[in-house]
Amino acid sequence: MTENAVTPGAAPILRLRGVGRRFGGLDAVSDVDLDVGPGERRAILGPNGAGKTTLFNVISGDMPATAGTIEFLGEDVGQIPASGRSKRGMGRTYQKSRLFLGLSVEDNLYLAVLGNQTGHLRPFRRSRDGDIRERARELAGAVGLQGKCDALVGSMSHGEQRQLEVAMARAGDPKLMLLDEPASGLSRGERVALTDLLLELDPSITLILIEHDMDVALRVANRVTMMHDGRKIVEGTPDEIRANDLVHELYLGGRVAGAEEDGA
Amino acid sequence: MSARRPTASLDRGTAAVLVAIAILAPLIFNTYWIGTLLTQMLFLGIVAASLIFLSAYGGMVSLAQVALYGIAGFAIGNLTTNGNTKGLNLGWTPLAAIPVALAITIGLGLLFGALSSRSVGIYFLMITLTFSVIANLFFGQVTSLSGFGGISGIPAPGFIGNVDHHPDRLYYLALVLALLVYALLRYIARTPFGLTLQGIRDDPVRMSSLGYNVTLHRTLAFGFASFIAAIGGVLFAYWNGHIDPATIGLGATIDVLVVAVIGGLSRLEGAWLGALVFVLINNYAQRIGFVSDRFHTLIGVVFLVIVLLSPDGLMGLWGRLGDLRRRGERPGQAPTGGSERGSGELEPTV
Ligand SMILES: Nc1ncnc2c1ncn2[C@@H]1O[C@H](COP(=O)(O)OP(=O)(O)OP(=O)(O)O)[C@@H](O)[C@H]1O
Ligand SMILES: [Mg+2]
Repeated sequence: MTENAVTPGAAPILRLRGVGRRFGGLDAVSDVDLDVGPGERRAILGPNGAGKTTLFNVISGDMPATAGTIEFLGEDVGQIPASGRSKRGMGRTYQKSRLFLGLSVEDNLYLAVLGNQTGHLRPFRRSRDGDIRERARELAGAVGLQGKCDALVGSMSHGEQRQLEVAMARAGDPKLMLLDEPASGLSRGERVALTDLLLELDPSITLILIEHDMDVALRVANRVTMMHDGRKIVEGTPDEIRANDLVHELYLGGRVAGAEEDGA
Repeated sequence: MSARRPTASLDRGTAAVLVAIAILAPLIFNTYWIGTLLTQMLFLGIVAASLIFLSAYGGMVSLAQVALYGIAGFAIGNLTTNGNTKGLNLGWTPLAAIPVALAITIGLGLLFGALSSRSVGIYFLMITLTFSVIANLFFGQVTSLSGFGGISGIPAPGFIGNVDHHPDRLYYLALVLALLVYALLRYIARTPFGLTLQGIRDDPVRMSSLGYNVTLHRTLAFGFASFIAAIGGVLFAYWNGHIDPATIGLGATIDVLVVAVIGGLSRLEGAWLGALVFVLINNYAQRIGFVSDRFHTLIGVVFLVIVLLSPDGLMGLWGRLGDLRRRGERPGQAPTGGSERGSGELEPTV
């Protein structure tokens, strides 16, 4: 656990009230209230199908919420599309990697950096592209992909793709990073490297992390939210979560080791 | 494991030889080849390149490219003819008509793009097919612009003169434009506009969560591709001197799709390679007695054979031959065929 400064009483960077998402007759997420403060490291735990990924999707704007309000940096972003939320400072990764498989690592990161800047439509090259590429190579280096800049992403290993996922989320200099099971399918060594990377992140970046791997989640997080059947059921510090009976019954007892391989 | 980019292309040596042959062609081939076969190959290749560009870089297989090419041709016809033909007979000088015809086509292309850019896959294909059918019916029924008989006597600009008397002039114009189109498309692919388009091809959801406006970008890419198709349409109008709704009928729409698929939907060069094969078969099949009126059966068979041998067309076949040559005859290294992703940008070669 890190001692990240969570200024008490500071206005939350992310504030959810009564958020729900319904698919046909299924309430994948219902009535979730969530306050995440600036610089906080929040882990979201919960069994398969608890609604964690769906919660991320409505926060990032990949799909609209069907109930409730979402405020980011004090602004109601409920009607703003994903691209607009990204420009306001949200960055995310996906549980199942969403990368540009037909492009190189450097091109992937180039697009990730360019995303929050102007000039997407520019049909000619300029010296500014050199700076973006410089930044792209820096980001690749930060996740151990410095030698792979020209590799086609579709030809890389799963572990390398997961590392690139995290680099993509960082590229837009987000204020809030949403990481959906970044360690899924990684080897033990790669997990350690990833955890170190998360611990070294700029402390001003707010982090919400979905992670089945307790070692990763409880080491990185200073606050934990537990979800079940689309609802938030427990919230507390990692120690409180470890000690909570309900959590043990639903989660720690049921599926711990090895469960993190799913969804990869 | 190495994989080839969609832009992977002919090696420089081969490209230089091909361009040299194309430049010297009027000295090598007779006027029938220059004026009929090779000029047709060049402008058909330009239209097919607009289709391949959208497919290879944008993941959008459009069946509206022939309609857009026809719209440019009809615009040229209406603006420049003067007298005894259908259409508006506005009698403009040919050079003044070109920018207007391009602008009309790009405008309609942007409109089509805006209407179809939220659809993907088979829905996109169907919507663009609908545009092509509408354009075909429109020019058939609106007699003030064309009617079924079409517009005849379309004049080429003065520097081209009478196409029948100076076939090499239009040939060289088409060659220069084809080379420029090719170079432009290759260049665009490495600009922010082109890379963004490729990102959208690979994962539109990720692109919007990175801050991109996916539908706007698709719309503009479609508008850009209609500009390319329009260049082909203007050349066609000069080459043929006549345009009627059959030019943009369902048959013609499918012909250009066949050209693109034979050449290879993932490689720009494939546009002209496919066009050459198509034009040659089209021409010589007519002379073989028993196939002459079964031309579409023959091209269908060729199409099937090529697609079965190589899902990414002749360019894909060419690439694999190159791999074989480079690899020598090491046993157990048969190249894997095809691509898993349809557009062929991921081609495992080991
Ligand atoms: N696009 C969708 N359409 C219909 N149902 C969906 C959709 N996405 C998720 N669901 C359903 O919503 C519920 C919550 O899914 P979600 O992916 O959010 O769970 P999760 O907590 O992320 O699970 P996991 O740990 O397996 O990743 C599941 O029952 C799932 O089947
Ligand atoms: Mg999930």
